[in-house]
Formats: sequence, C-alpha cells, structure tokens
Amino acid sequence: MGLLSAQDEATLKEHLSVITMPVQLVLFTQAFGGSESGDVAKQILNEIASLNDKVTVVEKSFVLDTEDKAKYKIDKAPAIVILSDGIDTRMRMYGAPTGYEFVGLVEAIIVAGTGKIDLDPETMKWIQAVDKPTHIQVFSTPT
Amino acid sequence: MAAANELITADAIEATEFMDLSRKYRVTGVPKTIVNETIEIMGGLPEQVFVRAALDLPDADVEAGV
Repeated sequence: MGLLSAQDEATLKEHLSVITMPVQLVLFTQAFGGSESGDVAKQILNEIASLNDKVTVVEKSFVLDTEDKAKYKIDKAPAIVILSDGIDTRMRMYGAPTGYEFVGLVEAIIVAGTGKIDLDPETMKWIQAVDKPTHIQVFSTPT
Repeated sequence: MAAANELITADAIEATEFMDLSRKYRVTGVPKTIVNETIEIMGGLPEQVFVRAALDLPDADVEAGV
C-alpha cells in the first residue's frame, strides 16, 4: 500500500506537472545497521517518481558506493541528493522525508525541475552576492 | 538558496533521526538553522529576515516593516 492517498497523489501530480527538466533523486541508504527510515525514504521517492516521468530515483549504498559518497560529500544516511539534469543542486535531505520534510522535498524537486527559484528579487541579489562557501543546515521534525 | 549560488550547500536534517548532530548543535526546538557552524537561527522567519541572518548581513539594511 502506498504512503500517499489517491487524492494526495493527484494533487502532487498537478504540482509536479510544471517540471521541464529531468530530476534525479540520488538516495543513499545503509542496508545493514541502518534505520528503517531508509526504506521509508525509498518508498516515498518511488511514489513521487511514479507521478512524473522526468523524476527518477537512483539508489546508492552508503557503505559500498564510496566514490559517490565522496562526490556528493555524504556523511550520514539516509541521504537524498537532488540533481537537476545530472547537475548537483547542492540541496540535500537527511532522514525520511515525511511531514514538513516532504513539503520541502517537493519544493526542492520543483526548483530542480524548473530552474525557477521563488524568492524576492532583492533576496536573490543578496544570495547571489555570496562569495565564500556557505553551509546551511536546517533541523526539523516531521510534525 | 543553494540553487541560486553554487557556493551554498543546504541540508535539511530530520532532527530526531540524527540525535548526535541535534545534540552537537543544541537543537531544542525546530526549525533550527546552523550556518557555517557559527550562526544559529531559531524558528521560522520571514524570507528576507532569514536570509539576512543566514548570510550575516547587517539588520540595519532591512527595509522598514520587516
């Protein structure tokens, strides 16, 4: 049984319909010693991908795929790396994307799939003026 | 923000799943944002206020009413 209701799926499909570029969701999970949230994350990503053929899921092992881990600088699992037409958007999600995190994931997919960032023009100017590496970590909970 | 500038990386972290990190950054409420290990932002803020705080820009430049 899916995690999304038929109504949620229909709404989500409509939201995702604006996507014009391929989006890859690279999921790192740990099969042994990992938490159940890896399986939940996989199910959620597969359900999203089933609603739009431009969205695909690429599964990686947190233990075995060391080159990819290094490439995307992944140090914990489950981790989701969001690619826009193969290019790293530098947006990451750690843990199962449920509750509020799910909304954030869908928004990130839409940004990756449209190239459009829904921010005030002045805010965008400030962000584009950043000239040094900046690492933002946002902690949240599903509810 | 990450999508708008290639020098920015943005991580959304499920706090209860990564308790060691939550302890490290003293996450007692959510959302809590940590920027470059030094800036801490508690709670949800309006877009411009949040971005200025995250980028350590002076508050004085924030337009009136924000």
